[in-house]
Amino acid sequence: MVQNLKTDVLVIGAGPAGSMTAKWAAKNGARVLMIEKRQEIGSPVRCGEGMSKSWLPEVGITPGAWVNLEVEGARIFSPREQVFEINEKHAGNEVGYVVERDGFDKALAIDAANAGTEIRLKTAATGILKEGGRVAGARVKQFGEPFEIRATVTIGADGFESQVGRWAGLPTNIALRDMDTCLQYRMTNVDCDTRYCDFYLGEVAPGGYVWVFPKADGLANVGIGVQLSKVRGMADPRTYLDAWIAKHPAYSKGKTIDVVGGGVSISQPVKQSVTDGLMLVGDAARMIDPLTGGGIANGCIAGKICGEVAAQAVHAGDPSRAFLDRYEKGWRAKLEEKLYRNWYAKEKLCTLSDATFDKIIDALQGVRLEKLSVHNILKAVHDKYPDVTKEFEAFL
Amino acid sequence: MVNKKSLHIESSGQLCIYCGACVGICPLNCIYLDETRITFDERVCTRCEICVKACPVGAIEIG
Repeated sequence: MVQNLKTDVLVIGAGPAGSMTAKWAAKNGARVLMIEKRQEIGSPVRCGEGMSKSWLPEVGITPGAWVNLEVEGARIFSPREQVFEINEKHAGNEVGYVVERDGFDKALAIDAANAGTEIRLKTAATGILKEGGRVAGARVKQFGEPFEIRATVTIGADGFESQVGRWAGLPTNIALRDMDTCLQYRMTNVDCDTRYCDFYLGEVAPGGYVWVFPKADGLANVGIGVQLSKVRGMADPRTYLDAWIAKHPAYSKGKTIDVVGGGVSISQPVKQSVTDGLMLVGDAARMIDPLTGGGIANGCIAGKICGEVAAQAVHAGDPSRAFLDRYEKGWRAKLEEKLYRNWYAKEKLCTLSDATFDKIIDALQGVRLEKLSVHNILKAVHDKYPDVTKEFEAFL
Repeated sequence: MVNKKSLHIESSGQLCIYCGACVGICPLNCIYLDETRITFDERVCTRCEICVKACPVGAIEIG
């Protein structure tokens, strides 16, 4: 019989958002227990592994062995495969590193452990505990043995397929147009330019894009996201990705050494991320950037705030929704405006035809943008194809 | 007795890659992922077929 446990802060899920939350809660003096259902933190990888880097210092992450490659910029390919290059300075560091995601997750968990977090693997949450109307921990199974963990504050950092939020009645459901179904091959022996992360737009990936993120030693992550509302048959991501690779000799000559799949939310963030005794963070709170599909930066930025507020709630002896609301306000102040803006941009981009994408990228040929912004891009497009920008007047 | 179509999740590993895409999108939260096993609650499932669309490798069939 396993003994029931008590802790100040229970973090469910040891991905980047969970580890960041755990680290900052522990650093601020709370007793923290982080549980992870898998047997290995960070594995199997479910990620394209492209990551921006400007945000790392503010959340206290030091680049380590998990950096596989540093890229100079991104290239956007139109359906005709004209290229628009965004260098790092103009991209606002949207891309920066291609990482070893399993190593990254482990490094963050080690940071959390060094700050005093206790970690238990092979420990899955099976339900939440409630006490006087508030969430008070979770029922778990460690190596199959059921027991309870009572906590002052519980954190749902359980990713895209979050159960914790649903158990607590938080509105995490997403619409078909707000999810991409993704598939990626890690390939070896490919010819790609290791200076860039590449994105291919249009009907090659309806409602999403094909990406090629280079890695060292002739490796690359070649993947696709397809918007669920545009899926027509079974296994569309595989069908589209295989078709795209077949048309690109630089990649069709490669060999796949790993297949990665997963769901990515491209939605607005959750309307409510806290309730009495509980906070949601990262993909579980739908913090993924709906335009890029990137979730690591936002999860870590929110995770730091989440951990700090969790510790404050413990010290104040007050895990009420009213108290935890400072987390809700904190992460929204930092992330929400961009999440909504990018959601609207995504909604618009999803409606564009290949011909329109071609015109946009064509209009940007040879244009030197002082600063990369939606406004500047549209202005450049307007100069060459005024008819195209009619659809975008709302952004101008 | 409602006559429901049959739903089959191929989770023996021949197709399924245990990515959890079906789990995250299920509007009724009736699909469960346990490392290398995916199950669903026959009683709750309405055969809305959203998980069929969400599966990137076509491991879910409704007949």
